[in-house]
Amino acid sequence: MSTKTWQDPKPARVTYDDWARLFEDVPDELLDRYHYYREDQERSGGLKPWSAYMFPPQTFAVYGARHLKRLKFDNSLAALRMWGFVQNETERLYRARQVGRRVVATMGDLGAVPVIVNSFPGATAFYPDCIWWMPFVMESNVLFDAAAGLGIGDATCFSRAALGAFDKHAYFPEPDLVVASTGASCDDYSGVEQLAGRFAAEMLWVESPCRRERLGCHACGEDLAETVDSGTPYEPESLAFLVTEYERVKETMERLTGHRTSEEELRAGVRKANRVRRLTRRVRELAYRDGALPSLEAMVVEFGNLHHYADIDEWPEVLEHLVETCEERGRKGETVVDRDALRLVWVTPPADPLFLNYLEDQGARVVGTEYVIGQALELLDEDRPPLEAVAESFMAASLTGSTRQRTEAAIRQAREHDADGVIISGILGGSHCAMESRLIARYVKAELDLPVLEFDVPPPAKEISRQIRTRIDAFLEVLRGRR
Amino acid sequence: MAVLTSERLDALREERLQRLRAHRASGRKVIGWIAGFTPVEVIRAAGAEPVRLLRGGYQAEARGDRYLRSDACPLCLSSMGAFDIDPLYRLVDAVAAVNTCDMLRRLPESIHRHFGLPVYQLYMPRTSEALPHRVAEFRRQLEWFAGELAAFTGNEVGPKTLAGGIREANRVRGALRGLDELCKGDNPVLSGTDILDAVAFATTLDPEHAVSLIGGIHEMASSVEPTPGSRPRLMLGGSEVAEQDRWLVETIETKADIVTDMLDTGTSWYEEDCPEDGEPMDALARFYFARTGMMRRPNDRAYERARGLVKENRVKAVVWKTLLYCDPWNFEAVRLREEVGVPVLHIDGNYSSENREQLRTRVEAFLENL
Repeated sequence: MSTKTWQDPKPARVTYDDWARLFEDVPDELLDRYHYYREDQERSGGLKPWSAYMFPPQTFAVYGARHLKRLKFDNSLAALRMWGFVQNETERLYRARQVGRRVVATMGDLGAVPVIVNSFPGATAFYPDCIWWMPFVMESNVLFDAAAGLGIGDATCFSRAALGAFDKHAYFPEPDLVVASTGASCDDYSGVEQLAGRFAAEMLWVESPCRRERLGCHACGEDLAETVDSGTPYEPESLAFLVTEYERVKETMERLTGHRTSEEELRAGVRKANRVRRLTRRVRELAYRDGALPSLEAMVVEFGNLHHYADIDEWPEVLEHLVETCEERGRKGETVVDRDALRLVWVTPPADPLFLNYLEDQGARVVGTEYVIGQALELLDEDRPPLEAVAESFMAASLTGSTRQRTEAAIRQAREHDADGVIISGILGGSHCAMESRLIARYVKAELDLPVLEFDVPPPAKEISRQIRTRIDAFLEVLRGRR
Repeated sequence: MAVLTSERLDALREERLQRLRAHRASGRKVIGWIAGFTPVEVIRAAGAEPVRLLRGGYQAEARGDRYLRSDACPLCLSSMGAFDIDPLYRLVDAVAAVNTCDMLRRLPESIHRHFGLPVYQLYMPRTSEALPHRVAEFRRQLEWFAGELAAFTGNEVGPKTLAGGIREANRVRGALRGLDELCKGDNPVLSGTDILDAVAFATTLDPEHAVSLIGGIHEMASSVEPTPGSRPRLMLGGSEVAEQDRWLVETIETKADIVTDMLDTGTSWYEEDCPEDGEPMDALARFYFARTGMMRRPNDRAYERARGLVKENRVKAVVWKTLLYCDPWNFEAVRLREEVGVPVLHIDGNYSSENREQLRTRVEAFLENL
């Protein structure tokens, strides 16, 4: 990315210290350009801007994000901006409360309900679920210990950190409302939601229906509709059911905000979400197909589709910046990861970001992902009534259907990008990991005859355990041998 | 004391297998069912024989490692393993399951992929607020299930046959409640082990034989004089208790009486009848939807029930037995301690016998402290 005052260096993955040196050269004029909650900032008149987020990783490391010292980052200004924006989210949520926004914790559905919440003026949705990165970024078990004190011990998904965060009252302001989605979802997080209820001023439960697949039965598969974007088959009755659930969300939000929303406002919300989803799709393409962005940054972008890191207006600007940067790299024929590196599809997000760095250090790269957020990547149908559009996108959810359906997404990407292998990272005790991993491996082997590596991400640590590194190394050796 | 001796239990198990073989030989389908929310009434209305698949056991669990990761819940693991080695499971023509938890929602796919059996996965809304559209959705699931079974068995499921299925299931439930009454007084003559055995057979035998067996147990128990003295009255709760968990119940009952339970495999299954008036499918949908459980969201009603059972049965302590990785029940142990107002012993484990002595010591120490 080139601006009048800044020229990105040659693309590379750089260390925390490298970024400190690079940051010294970034002009103040640029740093002042980027703000969150721009409208609120503008409304605050002549007050000194309080909403800057453009800081180097060191700023966040000082406040406890120790892992940043060990990670490698893309060296573009756009990536720096992205990291600043993402790391700043806690501050942003507290600021939201200060400026009078309604802060709504959405839980469990990973991508759908925030589209509705964010359509309300002055409402900000966020996912406590995303706190699951926090213990790794902080290299700390504090949140897990807090969750254990409330009943959720070690042998459970890392998403239990969200419960610890509710208990600590320090990671996000007390939400005005918690919208908890459950149903055809993982047990771990459903339990987290249930126990988090004790901290909620108001809690609304939303049912996520199951997407049934024909498994030797007679009528399954008949009269199915398909999502317009990915073509995921679903029962039309499930869509109608979910719309009724979302009506309840809308009504609750109307009561909370005192604002009777219009169809047009909801449509505008859908369009905003779609803008983000389209940009994310472009980033994925540039990263996974062209190697223009490292897999770590690409993962952060993918998860931005969930709640836009609590600022639906600024996040797409960050994404535009990233897209421009990656496209410019493309025009120059530059990549940040070796195009000839071993190509892998990653299934289930690695809670520890070090894994993605390590893979690239060892001469591999990610060319496809199935990070359990298929619903957030699905484009919303702008021709449908808005709640129906949100519900329809959720019909493509990763975890509400069968394992076979979920695997299809990974298989499709593996075919498209001529993958060399598939990695399935899991979590000890995670309900879907325990039930799905073997089946996914079986389906992949049967359909593609590709090697599959399965491992569990260990608890937070300063480095990847030797045992897992050895397993990854051996796996990559096998893949090299097959080339 | 247990009314049914181990020899009698073995004989009953063998008899059960013979009956199922006879059913199959006569062309009748055997449908294995998993999870207490499975509407056996529909299975019976379709002219099939419902058999609860809840044997447990470490051998089956270890065998299940071939198909699932070892951090799947022991019930799922043992279910998978049992399709390899347990004669009861091998008699099953198809499997029906309700998603009382995520693992059970996913189990049918593994059964189907590995053993080729047709599986019927009913989706029960996990949210517990009985909003009209949620009950209607469950009713739709039941109708789909009925249609599937009709196609599988060749027997139409109509209001009449469904009403018959409801009546038969209610008959069994009523008989089990009759046994339960024998636990209400001081020094109950019937043990938790007996109830566990009775439910295990009631859910795997046809109604006629189940009611006859329960009647026999009732008769035997009624003729027994209560043992004098006073023992702590306990409630057993938690994850599903399988047939092969009998040892744990026996261990507890060496020093205490289990007078009630909060188990999917116990009172939860039979405490209420499905209403027999009104349109049967509608009644069935409402009946199952209204059932409580720690996995429903919110689960406050499950706690209300727990407090009610403790009070009504003068329970002095709760043994909360959960299966490893069984999140819906495991996660609630801390809150349960806050809610029920009596001491709670939480035991979390699998079907392995290796830690039995350790568990025995923990149980005994807990009971001595009451």
